[in-house]
Amino acid sequence: MFKLNFKIALRNIWKNKTSSLINISGLAIGLAACLLLLLYVAYEWNFDRQTADPSNTYKVIVNNVDANGKITGTWLASTNAIAPLFKLEYPEVQAAARIDAAGKKLIANGRKSLKRAACYADPDILNIFEYSFTAGDASSAMAAPNSIILTASTALELFGSTDVLNKTVHYDDQIDLKVTGVINDLPKNTSVAFDFLMPWSLDEALNNWIKEPSWGNFNYNTIVRMVPGTDMDKFNQGIKDFMHRHNPNANAQLLIFPLSRLHLYDTFQNGLSIGGKIEQLRLFMGLAIGILLIACINFMNMATAKSEKRAKEVGIKKTIGATRSSLISQFLMESLVLTVLSSVLAIVLIELCIPVFNNLLDTSLNLDYSNVSIWAGLVSVVVLTGLISGSYPAFYLSAFNPVQILRKRTFRSGLLTINLRQVLVVTQFCFAIVLIIATMVIYRQIQYIKNRPVGYDINTLVQMPQEGELYGKFDLLKDRLVKSGAVTSLYQSSGTIAHHTSSFSNMEWEGSTEADKSINFSQIATTYDFVKTNGIKLIAGRDFSENFASDSAALMLNSTAAKLMNLPDPIGQQVMYHGNKFTVVGVFEDFIQDAPGTKETPLVVAFMKGWSGVVTMRLNTANTVAENLATIEKVVKDINPAYPLELSFVDQLYAEKLKSQEVLGTLSNMFGGLAIFISCLGLFGLAAYSAEQRTKEIGVRKVLGASVASLLQLLSVSFLKMVGFAIIISIPLATYMMNNWLKDFDYHTNVSWVVIIATAFGTLAIALLTVSYQAYKAAKANPVDALKYE
Amino acid sequence: MITLQNIEKYYAAKGLKSYILRHVTTTINQGEFVSIMGPSGAGKSTLLNILGMLEEPTYGTYEFMGEDVTSMNERKRIELYRNHIGFVFQAYHLIDEMTVAENIEAPLLYKKIGSSERKSRVADMLDRFNIVGKKDLFPNQLSGGQQQLVGIARALAAQPSIILADEPTGNLQSAQALQIMDLFKKLNEEENITVIQVTHSELNASYGSRILHLLDGVIKEDVSVLS
Repeated sequence: MFKLNFKIALRNIWKNKTSSLINISGLAIGLAACLLLLLYVAYEWNFDRQTADPSNTYKVIVNNVDANGKITGTWLASTNAIAPLFKLEYPEVQAAARIDAAGKKLIANGRKSLKRAACYADPDILNIFEYSFTAGDASSAMAAPNSIILTASTALELFGSTDVLNKTVHYDDQIDLKVTGVINDLPKNTSVAFDFLMPWSLDEALNNWIKEPSWGNFNYNTIVRMVPGTDMDKFNQGIKDFMHRHNPNANAQLLIFPLSRLHLYDTFQNGLSIGGKIEQLRLFMGLAIGILLIACINFMNMATAKSEKRAKEVGIKKTIGATRSSLISQFLMESLVLTVLSSVLAIVLIELCIPVFNNLLDTSLNLDYSNVSIWAGLVSVVVLTGLISGSYPAFYLSAFNPVQILRKRTFRSGLLTINLRQVLVVTQFCFAIVLIIATMVIYRQIQYIKNRPVGYDINTLVQMPQEGELYGKFDLLKDRLVKSGAVTSLYQSSGTIAHHTSSFSNMEWEGSTEADKSINFSQIATTYDFVKTNGIKLIAGRDFSENFASDSAALMLNSTAAKLMNLPDPIGQQVMYHGNKFTVVGVFEDFIQDAPGTKETPLVVAFMKGWSGVVTMRLNTANTVAENLATIEKVVKDINPAYPLELSFVDQLYAEKLKSQEVLGTLSNMFGGLAIFISCLGLFGLAAYSAEQRTKEIGVRKVLGASVASLLQLLSVSFLKMVGFAIIISIPLATYMMNNWLKDFDYHTNVSWVVIIATAFGTLAIALLTVSYQAYKAAKANPVDALKYE
Repeated sequence: MITLQNIEKYYAAKGLKSYILRHVTTTINQGEFVSIMGPSGAGKSTLLNILGMLEEPTYGTYEFMGEDVTSMNERKRIELYRNHIGFVFQAYHLIDEMTVAENIEAPLLYKKIGSSERKSRVADMLDRFNIVGKKDLFPNQLSGGQQQLVGIARALAAQPSIILADEPTGNLQSAQALQIMDLFKKLNEEENITVIQVTHSELNASYGSRILHLLDGVIKEDVSVLS
């Protein structure tokens, strides 16, 4: 029986090539989209779960409180004083590690040098994360201060081999370190990412200030592994005043949060997690299921539309002794065979699309065929799809009464079934239209914020990290670069101008209240030529100048900061900045440093010689960019030979800010397009069947003198009505959804009527094209052929 | 074997009853060959459908092999289809997606007969109807007469005790029709299978042992055929 049903299923697929093609390709696209998104969801879901004991691994985070004890913000970072004391004071802390992600640092083997992500951590990190050592072992790898653990790919790049135990590497152009371990490369979905790992003791040896236990420098991460069974609420209650206990000046409250949840739930309000990336994940899940449902709907519609043909088979089988359940299982089998065929095609599609997808979302997804859980997921999605899309036709068809079918040769499906099919088509198009409107609104919003004036001259501005000799010899660098003619002006600063890098609170000024102390200001520390190089517009006052010796304690404010501080005449005012007296010498117009869609935060640009890390240069437009870059490279290499030159264009850095919106735009564009495509495939199939069903009617009408145009109208209108109905339903829905989305931006466009009208007409036009092809074919056919039929 | 008691069938449309069958009472015994005749619209097919349990009478009782059919559930009815009743249709009603052999095999599958037994019965049928060479063809590759032979072979494969045939030769040329009727007669006489057919043709009816003449839903005549 099974074999026969299987054979019949294959024959049916072969016999109805058009509908099989529509079903298989639609389902394949749906499955591919769904599986791809599910892969992504699994990737995000497994973020930071590579620890030895994920359910007991936590990160120490900090609730910042104001003078009234109200929580003003949550920082996902901690100070270097916490981990050692935790281990001393709490037996339930099994392991605690401080982690200092040091950014990209130089690492060299002889003349071969690379810049790779460096990380310092307490040896306890090896008890928290389960790194797989290919050389060395976890118990001894971080014991000595001058040791280093390399990832396999770093070892390969440096030495051409991973068998490098006890070899020496030169670190940061300062110190020789012995390789005490090689571990497999880390997965991309970890928050503690590095290319090489060094013990905390080395960090202390190289950087003096790290030795001091700090209660105010939240530059580090602390990860703890708790003893299983610890009561977390009680523990969190106990550590709430931990900082205040150890340092009366520190008021921030500590808590620990599950590390594996933090990635998805990293948005905090009043000290409680209120979501985060999980929302994007939910959106993706919705998209995945939606696309798959659209494809399933196609299947159901085609199957029920074909019911006239299948009905006869059902009737006969019932008279020769088939039970309803045997018929149901036959139809389910057919849909499963079709789904399995589609899934093969889907896997091919996924393999083709994965590189693009990875590139877009900056992930490392792949279909690992040796992974059992991937197969389990695949099989369950395929079986579920087969059952969902097959169930309705199976129950619908198997319920036919044999007499009706065998006696009356023209069988009409009941009113209810027609309605359900229409409902399904309307649902499909609603989904597609909502996605298309979303795409267009997202694109308009991206354009809108892209076109907002940046506030400084972003073109021909390049920056490089300030490293090695560039600290001490900055004046020489400045002098030689300006003289070379490649650069008209440059400055050093604590961070890039392209995005927010640092912030502080506790600023005081004349007339400031206690509450003002909790205002968060962004800050950039710099020396001379900040305004000149960037082309920022001054509203009042002046840039820092070498002509004023007093400028060593001067700062400038952006206009938001000046307004917020409520200073009528800010120039010359004395303010307390990090506990020191500074004079305000200038106020400049806001420029975009945060997200381009939000209001600017108050910004302080302070004159500070010791704190820098970035050199920003204005290229001379008299030369070509290539010439300028070549000159800069020559000069910089000459002064700082140990380090490779890393120039980046500020406009490119700025464009990165729009990335998440652009990803969202691309995704909704992709899936909107797919949704429309699959829906139209379905419409095409339905139109074909409706034309076929009505061949006789069309023949009669033609004989009676109907024109091709009137027949076209006859056949198309019912379908266009459904699409029209979908448009009417989905427009308010999409408008509501997108207005909600836009609310998150301080500067936003609106859901304009142009978008809605364009979508409505576009969808109708595509649907019309799809349907009218079939209608035209039917209407042009010779009526004799049609009438011969019966 | 079959007892009909006061069978009525009508459709109520807008308060008006339109009768298809009225007061049909008759008994059909095992081994009879009954032809139901009458003009179009006399209710022949409806009567046959009721006999085949494809339709329910509005009123009256119907006993099949001593069991009351009107109160029978679907499962029981399907059991009867599997074991006792074979249908032959005017339009053959073969399953287009199955080959000749598979069509004949299908009722055996539903009857859950073992694979070797199935093979031998199908082979037997193919042999008996001289269609061994056609066993792998699909119905649309056969002539009407050949399709009807397959239809009868399918009905016989499950070894029914009664065959219900609705104008089995209606779509056939006369030579083929004769062949089919000979076959029915042979089955009736040699294997004692009860045959009930609906027919328009006096000639076809003459093959049977008894004729029920139907007019406007009422049995007008019930005559025995003398051979």
